Amino acid sequence: MATKLVTEKLSAWFGKKQVLKDVSIAFEEKQVTALVGPSGCGKSTFIRCLNRMHELNPGARVEGKVLLDGLDIYGMDPMDVRRKIGMVFQKPNPFPNMSISDNVVAGIRLSGEKRKADLDEIVERTLRSVGLYDEVKDDLRRSGASLSGGQQQRLCIARALAMEPEVILMDEPTSALDPASTSRIEELIRKLKSEITVIIITHNVGQAARVSDKTAFLYLGELIEYNETKEFFESPKSPITERYITGRFG
Amino acid sequence: MRLLSRRAKEKLIIAVLIALSGAAVIPLFWIIGSIVWNGVSVMSIEFLTSLPAPFGSSGGGIGNAIIGTLIINLFASGLGIPLGILTGIYLAEYAYDSKMGSAVRTIVESLSGVPSIVIGLFAFTLIVLTFRHYTGVAATLALGIMMIPLVAKATEESMRVVSNDLREAGMALGIPKYNITTRIVLSMAKGGVISGSLLAFARISGETAPLLFTALFSFYWPTGIDQPIATLQVLIYNYAISGFADWVAKAWGASLLLVLLVMTINVAVRTFGRKKCGGA
Amino acid sequence: MVGASSLIVVAFFMMIFAMLVVRSYPSIINDPLMAFGSTWDVNLGIYGGLPAILGTLASSAIAVAFAVPISLGMSIFFTEYAPKKVRAALSVTIDMLATIPSVIFGIWGLWVIAPFVKTYIQEPIIGSIGFIPLFSGPAYGLSLFLASLVLTFMIVPIISSLTISLLTSTPVELREAMISLGATRWEVVRHVALPFSKLGIFAAIILALGRGLGETMAVTMVIGNSFVWPFSSPSLFAPASTITSKIASELYEAVDVLHVSSLVGLGLILLVITLAVNLSARLIITRISRRNAAE
Repeated sequence: MATKLVTEKLSAWFGKKQVLKDVSIAFEEKQVTALVGPSGCGKSTFIRCLNRMHELNPGARVEGKVLLDGLDIYGMDPMDVRRKIGMVFQKPNPFPNMSISDNVVAGIRLSGEKRKADLDEIVERTLRSVGLYDEVKDDLRRSGASLSGGQQQRLCIARALAMEPEVILMDEPTSALDPASTSRIEELIRKLKSEITVIIITHNVGQAARVSDKTAFLYLGELIEYNETKEFFESPKSPITERYITGRFG
Repeated sequence: MRLLSRRAKEKLIIAVLIALSGAAVIPLFWIIGSIVWNGVSVMSIEFLTSLPAPFGSSGGGIGNAIIGTLIINLFASGLGIPLGILTGIYLAEYAYDSKMGSAVRTIVESLSGVPSIVIGLFAFTLIVLTFRHYTGVAATLALGIMMIPLVAKATEESMRVVSNDLREAGMALGIPKYNITTRIVLSMAKGGVISGSLLAFARISGETAPLLFTALFSFYWPTGIDQPIATLQVLIYNYAISGFADWVAKAWGASLLLVLLVMTINVAVRTFGRKKCGGA
Repeated sequence: MVGASSLIVVAFFMMIFAMLVVRSYPSIINDPLMAFGSTWDVNLGIYGGLPAILGTLASSAIAVAFAVPISLGMSIFFTEYAPKKVRAALSVTIDMLATIPSVIFGIWGLWVIAPFVKTYIQEPIIGSIGFIPLFSGPAYGLSLFLASLVLTFMIVPIISSLTISLLTSTPVELREAMISLGATRWEVVRHVALPFSKLGIFAAIILALGRGLGETMAVTMVIGNSFVWPFSSPSLFAPASTITSKIASELYEAVDVLHVSSLVGLGLILLVITLAVNLSARLIITRISRRNAAE
């Protein structure tokens, strides 16, 4: 398997406070990598450096490299980066003033794709791939916000997937959802990896174990351990990792 | 649309936005510039302290108008500020959920939307027509009424901000509600109330319409609040539309004074008022 | 005591209505529809207020039409693109424009802007599209157009300050969703912030309209105070009158009871219109706050 996305000594600051310290990870293509660690340890900041959203915060600073297929994303147009590296957020955030179908194609419309037939086709295809189509097909013009929490999140995933990104970042996508929706989305993630590289933050070690191929542990802004998931959980190399997995903190 | 053209479109839009912003900024500079340019040349001690010269001759000044404005403002404040504060206290402390409270609030807000000339008309019909006499009293009534919603809103807002813990502490100690309100909450809301009153004072300094048919104008020193009184605002209006070069020049001078008065109060309130409220 | 003062305030409000009705009564019983006639001739005792009413509506409408793009443009620039120092400058501009008294706008409009507008705006336009009645000559500096222009700058601060608050309160998660899809800042504004703020901006516009309708001094000093617009010539470049300019310029000299009561009657009409406008803005704002609280 080739590496899709590589960070080299990635460091990040909020003003004077350093939140990431020289994190270097290589993410495998078409695999699911989980990022775990106690809250506030820089996981969110890390993935926001991967789609260049961290720098939008006032006083934010980034150093180091992030290479997508060998090209440093900090030398590219940020909008281009975000087209290729999509994101799903912790709290589902469909656009309330847009219908379900408009939500799905919100990103594509920006790129000028206009023909209705093409858009309709994309809507159906993407909604099917997230398993939402049959549930909403009778009225796609309903507001995106009128769905249940789990459905909204699947809509957001569809919206991100419609851009046909190469990598998709997920920031605790199921932490605001009920168990039934959570397992549906975990199933979706497992299905997605055959087409796309997935990086998922989760504070639920069980979820990491269920869903990912590799797992990385971030603690206080530093990468402590990164391994195949099975080995990560069965024989962690660092004592901090072990304490975290066994629930002694975080 | 390729990425490049979306970027280009954005650049074009930014240019349009800057142009539109400029359309708002340029008139401001133009106005201030005109006032300073035209007004400074008229400034002198004589200008500030003497009565207007007989019509047709130059010289003289606007001393009576300056004093007149201050007198009218003071009397108006005597009406508007107390009523405004009391109404504001009522709205903040007693009118939270009641129907009566929201009715009062609606009326106070509607009052702030009444055009100044209509309030002037009211004072005119109530006092001037009834007593067949142009008088400064009517003007102070009109301006005082205009101050009420401004002061009430400032009072209500700054009292709302005072934390509920203080109120509950007062009540737990058995202090009657009226005392809680006045002593504790009002003293903490002091800054906001003062700011609001000063801003209202500045606001009515610029109001001209209600004065046109109440206090009218006069070429003499003020003799009594029951007589017509000269004010800066009405002077500016009368002199500016007169077309006589000397009078127009004096109107610019009066404008400079008026703008200085209003701006100084506003700037002072915004810089010092913020610190005070922040501390509270 | 606080209750008493509130009652006094309510009483004042009622009294304003009452006095206006009472004092306009002579003209109402004389001919209730006269106020809506199209001729105002003091010498003949005819007091048709339609030119003034139309002037009021037209000047405010045009002012709003000019002010909305300027305010929106400035607000979007302020919230999305302006660097810190520019934002401070813009903020000061809005505040200062808001505090300049009306009579100052009047003297500036009368002596500085009128000749400018006449030569550099009206004459070229008349020269090119003057065949359209709305833009026909001759070019009067003091005109409906100038009044609308001056009004524009007086209401820009109202719309701008409200719009800036609305745009800044767009929920962060919606903006982030749009950004993560690769949108430019403008696209975020256009597809997220503006739709979200739509209702509030509409309310701001209505409030600004209410302010424009009641504006007196600046309008009186620059509108030319003609009794006949739009019935002699519908041109925007012709002098006109508004309810406020009529009252301001005629009340002092009015001796005839019918004259005075007609003017008061016009004031009553203005009061009703502005109250209706402000009340509707308030209703919209209440609906918005209810929506925000429910979320």
